Amino acid sequence: MPRAVVCYKWVPAENELRLDPVTRAVDTSSARWKVSDYDRNAIEAGRVLAAERGAELVALTFGDAGAKASQKDVLARGADRAVHVVSAAAGSADGHVTAHALAAQVRALGDVEVVLCGEGAADTYAHEVGPRVAEVLGWPVVTNVRELAVQGERLHAVRVVGGDLEAVECDLPAVVTVLAEVGPAPIPGLKAVIAAGRKPGEQVAVDALGLAPDALAPRTVVTRVTGYAAERSRVLLDAGEPAERVAALVSALTETGAL
Amino acid sequence: MTADTTAMPTDVVHVVAEPHEVAGLVVLALSADPTAAVHVMCLGVPDPATAQALTGCGAMSVVVLAAGAPVPSPGLDRPEDYVPAVAERLAGATPGLVLVPATVSGWEIAARLATRLGCGLVSEATSVRRLPDGGWCAERTLYAGAAVQGLEWHGRAVVSAAAGRGGPGALPPPDAGGAGSGGPVALETVVVDRDTRVRVTSRTSRERDAVDLSAASRVVCVGMGVQTLDDLALVEDLARALGAELACTRPVAEDRGWLPVDRYIGISGASVHPDLYVGVGVSGQVQHTVGIRDARTVVAINTDASAALMGQCDHGLVGDLRELVPLLAGAVRAAGVPS
Repeated sequence: MPRAVVCYKWVPAENELRLDPVTRAVDTSSARWKVSDYDRNAIEAGRVLAAERGAELVALTFGDAGAKASQKDVLARGADRAVHVVSAAAGSADGHVTAHALAAQVRALGDVEVVLCGEGAADTYAHEVGPRVAEVLGWPVVTNVRELAVQGERLHAVRVVGGDLEAVECDLPAVVTVLAEVGPAPIPGLKAVIAAGRKPGEQVAVDALGLAPDALAPRTVVTRVTGYAAERSRVLLDAGEPAERVAALVSALTETGAL
Repeated sequence: MTADTTAMPTDVVHVVAEPHEVAGLVVLALSADPTAAVHVMCLGVPDPATAQALTGCGAMSVVVLAAGAPVPSPGLDRPEDYVPAVAERLAGATPGLVLVPATVSGWEIAARLATRLGCGLVSEATSVRRLPDGGWCAERTLYAGAAVQGLEWHGRAVVSAAAGRGGPGALPPPDAGGAGSGGPVALETVVVDRDTRVRVTSRTSRERDAVDLSAASRVVCVGMGVQTLDDLALVEDLARALGAELACTRPVAEDRGWLPVDRYIGISGASVHPDLYVGVGVSGQVQHTVGIRDARTVVAINTDASAALMGQCDHGLVGDLRELVPLLAGAVRAAGVPS
């Protein structure tokens, strides 16, 4: 059976980050974690594609032990199988390390005809790992895709490139990064959530992939993450007649010179 | 990208870009380090005017990579297809910073080059500077603008950065000489093999307004809470009353197609710097609000007092936009606000 792989990232919800009021250091400890937003669209695109192709859909992630919690969600979203490449050092991994780990697992799966990724991760939005995985595998890559179809062994896609729509084709296997507009990512229903419990979620130690130490050596090091806090006056006009609320707004804007 | 001009040994910066993007990136490289030796690899053959301007762009060398056979039809060339040729030339060149434009094509080129060179990538850097120990540090945005990340590395890296407007008009005149690296240089053209695995079958332009939202002093933004075209017309009228540019959030342009895509604000769209931003039915997800953080005054109009934008605005007008927006447009006109 051919396989389609969707790579996804398990990230803290950006609206639940806490900032230290003095140092502005970002604290993720109280944030819920989620499957990165655009990766959900990629999973749905993968589900549709795999169904058309009679392929097995594998949801693949690279992360530390905490990322195991993501597997229920991606299985509920339609993956047949979830594979988590586990590394205690994933927190300090960069795109170089992540791409080598993901590509090695794609090779280990075998029979993969397409790898899908989201347009960018919710935390880093670096547009990096998809094209890197393609280069490590030696496959062509089609990025920023809003329409996708496979006929025979050929992939047809429409990319959004600046102000242009660029229709392209390439032979499989290939890596594709998709935009949110490739299709909405429905919230899984109860049946899908229950069915997910019966699907396999696998953990693979990164050391078992036979990667050279150089492939697992980050090239860049994150030295700090500093939060941004909007300094706004946050005056709510929620009482009185609509005309009074509007008048209060106009006079406030006039006073501050905004009008 | 901002500059830090601490005295440092001369650095080598390789600018890899399409003809119209080269000038902006050379300026960026030289503003980060005026003593840098900038070498350009131009992806595709420039038109005569751009070619002439490139001779005086401030780079020490300009190599034009021209497509070998099969030569692509006009308009069907892709800068991405020069990646193998660029990587091969960079592998044999003096290591240094590889600077690529932060565009859709540039993102792909940057990631593929970094992989072929086995080096790090800093995507969409907002600043880059040299460290006293010879290493580098850079900053970039994280969590759709909720945080800034500081990165460090040693040795070679690919950096993508937004060069602003780098069109031929932004180039110094050809006889002005280089800003940092000497006088005019001769363009060297090299015919190279392209990566032909991905083939362009057609290219169409999307509807655009060629609007420059970043220059607007007032912006009225349509969010997904504006649910009908009649409601949209009310918001348009408010924009007219204020003399404001009409903008929107990504799904309003990309999913509904109500406005051209160059009118959406956010991490993957425009950033605005107006005196006044009015968001109507805008929920306020960080992917959008990162694009409005430089607005002087932010007004939110929403039925939902708990919408995220209400917590990040100066004035939150709570209620039905069908009532409030026409009232506001009328009040603005009555006040005789100069637009």
